[in-house]
Amino acid sequence: MSTEIHPDVTIDARGATCPGPLMDLIGEIRHADVGTVFELKTSDSSSSHDVPEWVETAGHELLGVEEHDDYWSVFVETTK
Amino acid sequence: MTGYAIVLASGKFERLQAVSNIAAIAAASEIPVDVFATMDGLEAFDRDVVAGMDFEMSAVGRAMLEAEHMDMSLFSENLARAKELGPIHVYACELSMDALGKDLEAYEDVFDDVLGVSGFLTHAADKQVMFV
Repeated sequence: MSTEIHPDVTIDARGATCPGPLMDLIGEIRHADVGTVFELKTSDSSSSHDVPEWVETAGHELLGVEEHDDYWSVFVETTK
Repeated sequence: MTGYAIVLASGKFERLQAVSNIAAIAAASEIPVDVFATMDGLEAFDRDVVAGMDFEMSAVGRAMLEAEHMDMSLFSENLARAKELGPIHVYACELSMDALGKDLEAYEDVFDDVLGVSGFLTHAADKQVMFV
């Protein structure tokens, strides 16, 4: 599936289970400038739901979640 | 309420993993967490126990470990990583250690300090306590 979203940073967390993918994302977001767009790749089904929950709670912007054959791409833009 | 104080008294693998997952995400989200490992929950951090994966475990834990598509971090690794990301402290129970004649060197490198019950309750005074 193609996307109009062009990430500045791609985090490939495929294979890692919860909470690995989210920890990877949080670790990177900490050091990112406002407006940085991340693509988090995860093959963990629970993370595909849980990461968007965290993004909303943390106050960042969820740009979308794309489902691929064997993983998901979660797109996030930092707001602070 | 300003965070969570988790009393980890179980050495069961699934409970250890669940505690570490919740604690890690909370801390990474800037929610303060104190974990007090006591009784069987402390012994699960023994270096020999971890090296031998010698945990009480049921079907879920075995499935997670055996699943080829799952690269799961161990509870001790989750906690160690959480300490790099947020406000989490992990304490070892002094009573449990004394009973077995151990010191912190016997355990994985995740502990900030050794505490008695009163010490932990002081840390927990402003937190929601969870007993596992």
